[in-house]
Amino acid sequence: MSASIDVSRRVFLKSGAAVAVALTAGGIRVVAYANENAQEDFAGWVEIKPDDSVHILFPSTEMGQGSETGLPQILADELDADWDQVSIHQLNEDDRRFGNPAFGKILYTAGSSAIYGYFNVLRQAGATLRDMIRERTAAEWGVDKDAVATSNSRVSHAASGRSMTYGEVVALPNFAETTISTPVKLKSHEQHTLIGKRVPRRDIPAKSTGKAKYAIDVRVPNMLYASVLRSPVEGETIASLNDEKALATRDVVDVVTLPDGVAVVAKTLHAALAGRATLDVSWTETSPFRQYNSADTLEAYRQAAVGDTEGATWRAEGDAKAALAGATRSFDAVYTSDYAYHAQIEPMAATASVDADGKGAEVWVGTQTQSWSTRTATEVLGTTADRIRLNMMPMGGGFGRRTELMQNYLRDALLCSKATKQPVKVIWLRPDDLKFGAFRPAAAQYLKAAINEKGVLTAWHHRVATPSVIEYFNPIRWQQVAPKDIVTMRGAESQFYNIPDFLAEHVKTERQARILPWRGIGAAYTSFAAEAFIDEFAAKTKTDPLDFRRSMMTDNPRGTALVDRVEKMAAAVPLAEGRGRGFAFAGYGYTQAAGIAEISVDASAGTIQVHHVWIAVDAGQIISPDNALNQIEGGVLWGVSSALLERVTITNGQVEQENYYNYTVLRNNQSPTVDIYVAENNEKPTQIGEAGNPLVPPAIANAFFALTGRRLRHQPFTPDRVREALA
Amino acid sequence: MISFMLNGERVETDADPDTLLLIFLREELGLTGTKYGCGAAMCGACMVHMQGAPMFSCQITLAGVAGLSIKTIEGLSENDDHPLQKAWIEEQVPQCGYCQSGQIMRAAALLDSNPTPSEEDIRNWMSTNLCRCGTYNRIVKAVQRAAAEMSA
Repeated sequence: MSASIDVSRRVFLKSGAAVAVALTAGGIRVVAYANENAQEDFAGWVEIKPDDSVHILFPSTEMGQGSETGLPQILADELDADWDQVSIHQLNEDDRRFGNPAFGKILYTAGSSAIYGYFNVLRQAGATLRDMIRERTAAEWGVDKDAVATSNSRVSHAASGRSMTYGEVVALPNFAETTISTPVKLKSHEQHTLIGKRVPRRDIPAKSTGKAKYAIDVRVPNMLYASVLRSPVEGETIASLNDEKALATRDVVDVVTLPDGVAVVAKTLHAALAGRATLDVSWTETSPFRQYNSADTLEAYRQAAVGDTEGATWRAEGDAKAALAGATRSFDAVYTSDYAYHAQIEPMAATASVDADGKGAEVWVGTQTQSWSTRTATEVLGTTADRIRLNMMPMGGGFGRRTELMQNYLRDALLCSKATKQPVKVIWLRPDDLKFGAFRPAAAQYLKAAINEKGVLTAWHHRVATPSVIEYFNPIRWQQVAPKDIVTMRGAESQFYNIPDFLAEHVKTERQARILPWRGIGAAYTSFAAEAFIDEFAAKTKTDPLDFRRSMMTDNPRGTALVDRVEKMAAAVPLAEGRGRGFAFAGYGYTQAAGIAEISVDASAGTIQVHHVWIAVDAGQIISPDNALNQIEGGVLWGVSSALLERVTITNGQVEQENYYNYTVLRNNQSPTVDIYVAENNEKPTQIGEAGNPLVPPAIANAFFALTGRRLRHQPFTPDRVREALA
Repeated sequence: MISFMLNGERVETDADPDTLLLIFLREELGLTGTKYGCGAAMCGACMVHMQGAPMFSCQITLAGVAGLSIKTIEGLSENDDHPLQKAWIEEQVPQCGYCQSGQIMRAAALLDSNPTPSEEDIRNWMSTNLCRCGTYNRIVKAVQRAAAEMSA
């Protein structure tokens, strides 16, 4: 976006929305925006130049979810812009004017929130600018505004046959003075030309030719490389360091001591790695994390789950405890889940070039937040945001890994650059990324529920024993939201069911590992527990699992429609001999999803093969139908992978796994066929990116029961657990 | 001095012969289409062709490629129009895209040796390569599409 602004003013509309327009040295810049808070200052969501090019700001960051295309598509649709003339511009600063409305205006790409967070803002921006163009055109031609039509970046007047391009309109004298005379109207669902259409993603050609540049690919002049040896246990620091050999290694420039590690900085990555291998470091042995073992951690969490310590209420309706105490037909169970790693294929990497005065820097990093990357840099350098030049790079996978308030990979690049007075790229190797990863927390969950005389589930108590993720990874946010931790508890609200006496509570346990949001956040384990539990209840009452859910969602027609739909989809394929099917209903946030998994089991090997998953999703209106399918399918495969394979174990405070050979993720020949239905409607768009995975683990567990009559209550369903269940 | 053929051109270097080919390609030559993912031949993001066969470039040093012929994603086609690249775009395969150079190089080696692979052939062959976004089924479709175009 061009930076120089010569003229700027705001036009306040009757609706309370506002428009800001500006002339720039580069051409006429039309800045349109609308918001409940008309007192806000505005800047450029979109710019139309006299050459007809349309420039749209992309306020999120791209990690594969596709919103780099999807968000501009929304604005361009309401603007009636010619998509072929639209170029998309990454927002490279912590400019809260463009902040995510779903995250209190923080620049934060998480929670599958980009589309639903920005949907209204982008529509208003596009529609407002389109209205200005029509007003100015009407004045120019001396015709009624309502007679000015727009399409593909052109205005036209049918009666006279006149037309102009948008570039010509914004170049008219005094365009910036245009006042909108009537409230801005958004298009109807039927009028959309880009929203809901198959618009190819803009990033895909570069990602199909090796041309896409990620943070790890950055090369700048005079750049050095750093590789960091970290303390093997959280909280330990350097007791003694001998770096003589490292400093004597060919091309090594410096050895930099970091808060929790030692960086070898060299002219080549090869030399940085060679130098690191020669470091002789002994670490302190005082950290409390040294005593933690993941098996003990999970057992402690299990005891907290079944205990009676009151948790923080996540959602409550009626009086669940009283209802359960008086119930005659109740049942309870415990579900556990291990730590899980993001395993994004691009490991952490960042490049920093610190200014000579040490109080400013240009940085290149791939994260899910301009706000916290900027904050990391300002905190590390003790400076202000205006001194940080940010380059937000596409990410080789995010999945929650790149969300922290303090990003230590970026911190290390800054500290190394400051020490060496040259640009430095820090690259984590895969073992670094895994051993110093931050995980989906281990969790134990206690569930108790009761049915009434008609066999309908009417009382529910869900206790989730796990640490607070937010408290650890973003203490600032925790101050605002405590004790409600959406990252830990998501899904446990079970909001799609009508349960009159309901209680979900967070039994906050001690953190014994680094933890972070992970695809699906809490729903990755709360939905497993809830949906496996409901399946158990259905079996105990000898009710069809789908009918049992239907009886719980009599006031949820959209959800019931998904149950019906997915039942039909699966019924179209005969169940093969030796296989079983299981059902689960979850989704993510406001998005509902119903799914069926078909599996077979090799009893002696203890392995489960998932052959087919059918899934029906209602995420409101869909912006990019093909990308939605890709995201949902990716989510389903993530769910299969997490259910069957993924497990981090910790011994004496150290992560035991180090690479893809002992932290395994799903491969191509383990992937099920996935059939997807996406509801078509005109409702508010909701989340897509994390809608696919939460229902998969319980659907597999429930299929396992259908096939074997045994229950799997500990995720992942490793061979030893499968064999134990079958024993 | 080590010399080898890279994307049809001779490369000569006095870099440390122990340097991994992957690191040399990326950091010395700037051919960053080939990716680092694991350094352990477990993910396939670094896949190149050596003498026409698929090879994990994280597993071989400069000394190991002396006198040999290497092809990377940058050398797969002259105008980014290899049938696989076109199919990848047509099927809208990539999400984050980080693994896809390696996937395409792996698939290209398959079609060189087996122009009409079955779905099972494709899945097994492609299982050396991880995709964390979960695009495996689209990868299969894209390989099938490219195979059909190449044998048409």
